[in-house]
Amino acid sequence: MSTPKPSVSPSGVQYASFRGSGGTLFGISIVNLLLIVVTLGIYSFWGKAKVRRYLYSQTEFSGDRFAYHGTGKELFIGALKAFGLIIVFYAVFFAITRFVSLGVAIAFIYVGIAAVIPLALYGSMRYAMSRTSWRGIRFSFRGALGECYKQFLGGVLLTVITLGVYAPFFHVKMRTYWMNNTYFGNTPFGYAGRGKDLVWHFLLAVLLTIPTLYLYWLWYAARQARYDWTRTRFAAARFGCTFTGGGLLWLAVSNLLLLIVTLGFAFPWVLIRNIRYTLEHTGLHGPVAWDKVVADARAPKVGATGEGLADALDVGVAF
Amino acid sequence: MLQSWSARYLDGVSAHAVAVTLTPAAHGLDIRRADGGVVVWPYADISQTQGHYPGEQVRLERGVELLVVDDTAILSQLHKVAPRVSRRFHDPKWRVHRPALVAGALVAAIALGAGIYFWAIPAVAVFVAEQIPVAWEEELGRVVTDTLTDSKSTCQDQAVTRAVDDIVARLAAGVSDNPYTFRVSVIQKDVVNAFAAPGGHMVVFSGLLRRTDRPEELAGVLAHEMSHVLRRHGTKALFRDVSTSIFLSAIIGDAGGAMGVVLESAKTLGNLHYSRQAENEADTEGRRMLIAARIDPAGLVSFFEKLEKKDLKIDKDFLKYLSSHPLTEERIARLKPQPGAARVTYAPLPMAAIWKTLATACDPEEPD
Repeated sequence: MSTPKPSVSPSGVQYASFRGSGGTLFGISIVNLLLIVVTLGIYSFWGKAKVRRYLYSQTEFSGDRFAYHGTGKELFIGALKAFGLIIVFYAVFFAITRFVSLGVAIAFIYVGIAAVIPLALYGSMRYAMSRTSWRGIRFSFRGALGECYKQFLGGVLLTVITLGVYAPFFHVKMRTYWMNNTYFGNTPFGYAGRGKDLVWHFLLAVLLTIPTLYLYWLWYAARQARYDWTRTRFAAARFGCTFTGGGLLWLAVSNLLLLIVTLGFAFPWVLIRNIRYTLEHTGLHGPVAWDKVVADARAPKVGATGEGLADALDVGVAF
Repeated sequence: MLQSWSARYLDGVSAHAVAVTLTPAAHGLDIRRADGGVVVWPYADISQTQGHYPGEQVRLERGVELLVVDDTAILSQLHKVAPRVSRRFHDPKWRVHRPALVAGALVAAIALGAGIYFWAIPAVAVFVAEQIPVAWEEELGRVVTDTLTDSKSTCQDQAVTRAVDDIVARLAAGVSDNPYTFRVSVIQKDVVNAFAAPGGHMVVFSGLLRRTDRPEELAGVLAHEMSHVLRRHGTKALFRDVSTSIFLSAIIGDAGGAMGVVLESAKTLGNLHYSRQAENEADTEGRRMLIAARIDPAGLVSFFEKLEKKDLKIDKDFLKYLSSHPLTEERIARLKPQPGAARVTYAPLPMAAIWKTLATACDPEEPD
């Protein structure tokens, strides 16, 4: 077991650190597995909440742990509502195939998915932030749903029209939307990126896809993460990131080997290695006057339907 | 003497932590500030949200307010001084039992999972598949056959259609209480295969037809496929497959991708087992059907023997036909009449004379 890095480096950069162990997480997952089998899957929502609670509780920043406030019950209800929505969706699809035509029904599927993805992303982001706290103060996401639709659908359209060249601009626009509307207490995060800073690297990655057998995308991902975090700020501080392509490649290869050798049973250790890599390479530069940060009563009340929808569609917001 | 612990208090409004001293007492948790002020939290108002696992701080919440204690010994003290209300708090003494609990859970999860997977789900799926109306099966079968049997590749030869329909009618006449309407489409494709969709629609590829030397051989294959339909093998497999998939995805959702691969291959192996079982059943049932229709079951045997000879030469088409099927040798042994069995006389099928023409009538114009 590697010892966690100290949370403040000599240079004054503050890092979060993960204090949990793969063994404990393995134990939690196995007990979850038993209960999931006994309940024919229903328990998985409570199990998911339990795992998240553990992961958040073991993540420390500046001497204090994060906390996850979600419950299995709300995840279950969220999933049921999302399931209901999907059932209605299918019913309409089959009704159209029967009474109109298959072509119209397929068009309906495309339009329907396009209409639902922004809602799912928005809902899961709002849920994730509203259930996270540090030092007793909640995070929150306060973006407008209409803006999410505009940015997402506009970005997809432009990316398709430009045969993918617009993708880094789209990425920057979405991250701007996510970050600028995310708050810790009353204090917003901020992101100021420009797509044109990434676009040449992006095109290079496209060119190198085949010669490097897709591996160059890890270097692009590392570059994009470094770019993004350097331009992300909180109060007077900004973030920094030291991801490298080689680091990501080693992480992916070693994780894969671990999983193969253990027939998949190493999954908790793999998860923790990913978390550790991310936390150890993402730091907060500069001091923050934490005393100035206060909880904000305007933080929206959020249910877990969007989370359930995002889960069903297998989409999510990743930083 | 009551023990005390240093802790940090957060009011849920500001991110500024205040150092406090906690003293668990019988009536509640005494919280003393550095300036001497004391607040008491009654235990009934407190919930513990962190501190259940090694390395976690103990986190006690009351509404939005919270206390963070580094030392888990405070929990043991809570259980000592307030045993009646302490059930809402984790007791660190249970932690030593965790490895045993996890080991037990692992064994139980595997045993139970295997039980559900290999016994309960197949049993329920088979039961459900036996209950559904024939009309639903026909609807199901249409999904499979519609895409394959488009008019372009379906053999339209009148003589072949008449001969095949005649054989099917003879076989069906021997089945009591037959709820199915059997139909056969011959597809012009050089593949040695035949299959039955749920509901009674069967597909025979022209490659198989061409390799038959007598109508009895085709009758054997058809009897075999009709038995699949009558025993609802396809419907059962579908129900089993869907329900095991749902069960697996519920588990995999938590267990992660690589474990998913292991469980998926277990599923494939399971399917092969059920598939061989179904083939054996269809062989036995098909033979009975042939005898009832007074068609010589030796046709089925001689067709398999022909396939086996090709098997030795490792014909690609043939391997395709056999995957998920029992060993041909075994099947032939089972299908041959037992020594000492009563001799039955069989009526030869009338289309025997023109079979050479019929067998090749549906060959694709340009072999692919």
